[in-house]
Amino acid sequence: MVMKPVDFYGASIAAATLALVPWLLGSNYVTGILTVALCFGIWAASWDFMSGLTGRENFGHSLFIGAGAYTAGFLNVSYGLSPWWSLPAAPIVAVAFSIVIGFPTLRLRGPYFALAMLSGAAVMQSLTIIFSEVTGGQDGLNGLYPLFDSELAQYYLTLFFLVVTVVTLKLLANSPWGTILRAIKGDEASCQAAGINVTFYKIASLMISAAFAGLGGALYAHYQLQVGPDLFAVILSINIIIMVYVGGMGSIYGPVCGALFLNLLTEGLRGLSEYRLWVYTLILIFILFFLQQGLFAPLWRRLREVAK
Amino acid sequence: MTALLDVKGLNKRFGGLHAVKDVSFSLAAGAITGVLGPNGAGKTTLFNLLTGFMAPDTGIVEFDGHALGGLAPHRIVNRGLARTFQLTRPFIGMTVRENVEVACFAPRVRHEGHARARAQRFLDQVGLGAKSAIPVDVLPYGDLRRLEIARALAVRPKLLLLDEPFAGLGTSEIQPLANLIRELHRTEGLTILIIEHKLREFMQLVSEVIAMDFGEIVAIGEPQTIVRHPRVVEAYIGKTDAGLADIGRAGGDLGIA
Amino acid sequence: MVQILVYGAVISAIYAMLAVGFTLIFGVARILNLAHGSFYALGAYGVYALTADAHLPLWLAAIVAVSLVACFGIGMERVLVRPLRRSTLAVLMITLAVNLMVEQVLLLIFGSEARNVPSMVGATYHLGDVDISGQRIVALSGGIAILAALWFFMQHTRLGSAILAISQDAEAAQYMGIPSDRIYSLVMGLSAGIAAAAGVLVAPFQTVIPGMGLLPLIKAFAIVVVGGLGSIPGSIVGALLLGYTETIIAFKVSTEWSQIVSVAAVLLTLILRPAGFFGKRAAF
Repeated sequence: MVMKPVDFYGASIAAATLALVPWLLGSNYVTGILTVALCFGIWAASWDFMSGLTGRENFGHSLFIGAGAYTAGFLNVSYGLSPWWSLPAAPIVAVAFSIVIGFPTLRLRGPYFALAMLSGAAVMQSLTIIFSEVTGGQDGLNGLYPLFDSELAQYYLTLFFLVVTVVTLKLLANSPWGTILRAIKGDEASCQAAGINVTFYKIASLMISAAFAGLGGALYAHYQLQVGPDLFAVILSINIIIMVYVGGMGSIYGPVCGALFLNLLTEGLRGLSEYRLWVYTLILIFILFFLQQGLFAPLWRRLREVAK
Repeated sequence: MTALLDVKGLNKRFGGLHAVKDVSFSLAAGAITGVLGPNGAGKTTLFNLLTGFMAPDTGIVEFDGHALGGLAPHRIVNRGLARTFQLTRPFIGMTVRENVEVACFAPRVRHEGHARARAQRFLDQVGLGAKSAIPVDVLPYGDLRRLEIARALAVRPKLLLLDEPFAGLGTSEIQPLANLIRELHRTEGLTILIIEHKLREFMQLVSEVIAMDFGEIVAIGEPQTIVRHPRVVEAYIGKTDAGLADIGRAGGDLGIA
Repeated sequence: MVQILVYGAVISAIYAMLAVGFTLIFGVARILNLAHGSFYALGAYGVYALTADAHLPLWLAAIVAVSLVACFGIGMERVLVRPLRRSTLAVLMITLAVNLMVEQVLLLIFGSEARNVPSMVGATYHLGDVDISGQRIVALSGGIAILAALWFFMQHTRLGSAILAISQDAEAAQYMGIPSDRIYSLVMGLSAGIAAAAGVLVAPFQTVIPGMGLLPLIKAFAIVVVGGLGSIPGSIVGALLLGYTETIIAFKVSTEWSQIVSVAAVLLTLILRPAGFFGKRAAF
């Protein structure tokens, strides 16, 4: 379970770069973009841990994001609690959602599981809009407090949690957990025949995935200072999946790179914001046809070979 | 000696098809028994019922003194009843050793630790030791069979169910595999139940045969007796001529016919 | 009451057209086509563009639009889907990509404002004490006619029987010498054409915006899951169920609640009866 030295150095350099860049550039605008990008990184990594390893693509990841974000919203705005309470609460609520939806849907095959999760998120989105007295409807909840007054400090907090997320999930992926999850991807019946409780591992990995996604949701909420039903939207789940495809499914760190890449690209194309979805879609098509392993994880693996 | 496996009145229907009909038999610990029957006799269904992959309509299965009714397959495995599949199902995308490691993580054996080393040992035992690091996708068919056995051994079963282990193997591969099975039976003290319909190798391996046809047990006995049992012969004549030739040959090998 | 009956029937007919196309391509080629909503949207926009810009008469525009979309469907299957066939998830993603792409293209060309498509029948009819627009009647009759034609085609032509055969057992069909690949393209074209026809029929009275295909896609999926993946009668029954449930709830409670019905139905069916009520293939 120990990291190879080259991976450790690579990860440290990446983390250090992410830490230094906003400080050196000193622009709140850049820091803000990067904070959002890091949130996407947390979401992408958490998606990858469950769906990337087991191969059961979850098209409703936004369910957990929205659950975490709205938890932050309720605690902070509706109940006036300090925003720091959101950080432990959001994952717990997201995990609860994952248990409720996971049990009935995890026994479904690939595309059906994907679409059942998508339906779950869509139902949640509709319910959020309908019960507007509680949730603020289409306008959502406004007036959340940030965790720090300084944007830079909030950025470092998000970076800290991103590192925690990636390290935890990568350690799990390299442990027997990871082997078992990949075996589930290979053949579930054989897993059963090998004495593994497949249902337990599927639900548990979904719960872990949900916990980190919910945490990311809370961090995002306390950055944007508002939450709305868009956080449950299908398109959010799809964007995250595209980021994972670009990064390289199953690697955990790849999706983080994918998230950073696509977020920065989007900002770079700000002038052509109508074309944003074009770009994402074209990239997705390109990846599906030519780079099924993704871009970043294979790239890193190549670099590793060269480094030796 | 109490039986390791005790099956009473097992029944399974699929719509109009009575796949397993009133099946009852016992296996003594340490025995190596065969289930013989033409295609469609209900042999694999029987295995699925014993291992929890299907639920019986009626009947009791007692393993090691405990009833197995309604347990999920993985729990049955952790009680000591392991199986291989007729169509091998490796974990694609992983190496040969990782395939066995998965079984080393089963609750029954997890505490032993050092999964990698244990997996390697099981691979050595079945003759795949040198191939442990290659991806399982490129493994030839005969090796995949051995891998299935290694994976089943990794959970340290008391009873091992082998579903047509010789199916699809070329003549040069069959004898080594039969030797391996015999060896494992000897060294590990495993109780083994084999499904096959390739007569010769099978008859030389097992000490007792349960003959099935149309879901029912038609005879239980020693290989030499079963081969001449009228209903068994009838079942094979009814299905293929090759089967009859096999019976004759098997009888000749055993020095009877 | 009469209103519910008629509106429900119209919606059900449209839903049935969408669901049948969706379930056909699934039953035959195992493709969960997320671009299905795009065919619907393209049908509506097609008839708009052909009447407003190319000034074709309505009936001609309708036929051309449907044909073009059918060709688009065939092209999509051959160029984008076929190479990725080995992975069901890759196919899912590529149809998703097409869906996103089409929506973006429509947004680019036509902008986000709703477009007006002229009705085929301008008159309004009175049934009892209720006004029903002529277009709705056309949509209902058109839908029923198309579904009847499809049924006839499947039951009484060689090609139709071949399609049925493949949907039941793709491998066996191949052994019988039925060229699966070509049939997949054909069925996709058929599926696209029917969806486009639905779009054409409703364009006069539905909001024509680039994103109009998303909800119908979800409804089609919901119906097909409830009715049973791959089952045409199941889709029709499911369409009636969903169409009427939605209409009743929309009239009695609110339109917002009526939108949840479809998604909730999917969830419940997948949880309680994954094979749907008529389906043979379970979802697990």
